[in-house]
Amino acid sequence: MQIAVLSGKGGTGKTLLSVNLSYLAKNSIYVDCDVEEPNGLLYYKIPNIETNDVLTLYPVIDHNACDGCQKCTDFCKFNALAFILGKVRVFKELCHSCGGCSLVCPLNAITEKEKKLGSIKHGFYEDTEVYSGEMNIGEESGVSIIKELLNRVSNTDKTVFIDSPPGNGCSVMESISQADYCILVAEPSIFGLHNLNMVYELTRKFNKKIGLVINKASNDSIIYDYAKEKQIEILAQIPMDLELGEMNSNGEIVAKNDKFRPIFESILNKIDEEVQS
Amino acid sequence: MIITIPTVTSGEKSFVSDRFGRCNFFYVYDTEIKLGKVYTNIHKDGQGGVGVKASEFVINQKTDVLITPRVGSKSIDIIRDANIKIYEATNEIVKTNIERFLNNELKEL
Repeated sequence: MQIAVLSGKGGTGKTLLSVNLSYLAKNSIYVDCDVEEPNGLLYYKIPNIETNDVLTLYPVIDHNACDGCQKCTDFCKFNALAFILGKVRVFKELCHSCGGCSLVCPLNAITEKEKKLGSIKHGFYEDTEVYSGEMNIGEESGVSIIKELLNRVSNTDKTVFIDSPPGNGCSVMESISQADYCILVAEPSIFGLHNLNMVYELTRKFNKKIGLVINKASNDSIIYDYAKEKQIEILAQIPMDLELGEMNSNGEIVAKNDKFRPIFESILNKIDEEVQS
Repeated sequence: MIITIPTVTSGEKSFVSDRFGRCNFFYVYDTEIKLGKVYTNIHKDGQGGVGVKASEFVINQKTDVLITPRVGSKSIDIIRDANIKIYEATNEIVKTNIERFLNNELKEL
């Protein structure tokens, strides 16, 4: 079973939830898919973690074979190829490694080469298996790293908790693509509501089962009212609590504390019921 | 000399677009014959790399001078590689910007 945790806005509590839920759940895997700025390992401190490179393909043009027909530059939807001063120029950071350019080239002047896009870290923290992806600085798309992360956990009987990137772009879509259940996290603010609405629509498009966690809950009922209107199940409201905030900011797993553990346990129980129903 | 300018609406009375890759039109002016042509920017709604495509267009027009308020980092590399000079546009219309350039009143970026 895969459970994705997502929120439109950054800093609402995706990592807080996915780390603590995966820590409490038995037989679980935590996967940090926020490859642009992964922070799950701040909580899951694992010495000497195993690290593997993630490679991706990009086109290399044989300028002697190329006659400048521009079929490849017309084909590329990502504008990673441009015909400039009689030569095809490759913009690696825009390339999505689809390989289409080498297929449409009538002269076989395009071959694909590997480059390092980022890395995947893997280890164990107590009983929890931990994966974390990290994209190299200067790269523009982490989708390939997320694909590789999910590939590693695709044939498991463990419960997989996916810590998604913020927003509702390609990398978020990739990270929820295989999910059986999505937890949306929102904080009660206008910005929080706006971005919750964006991810809500995304999960509707993907036909996902969803539940909502209101983090930093206050007297402001802006998110609560929205959930009622859209008939989204509210899994929990985590109060704005100084002690919880401090522990979390110090990289501690708050579910280890008796005071906060019940919040996360009740979320896990509710999800179990939801997924089985 | 060919001067290319990204524009908001079509023609010399348009304002200069404050976006290069995602401008609506390009105005390509030939100083020899004192005539300008308008081109639609077909890549403006692309999801990425539109600056690359805009630069490709500018270069393929055999542009000598690009007048624009700003250019992205990838575009600037491509355009400078093609020995095209970039001048900073004022917030006036296209025609005024061309006159100012010809009177050496624009700053090189």
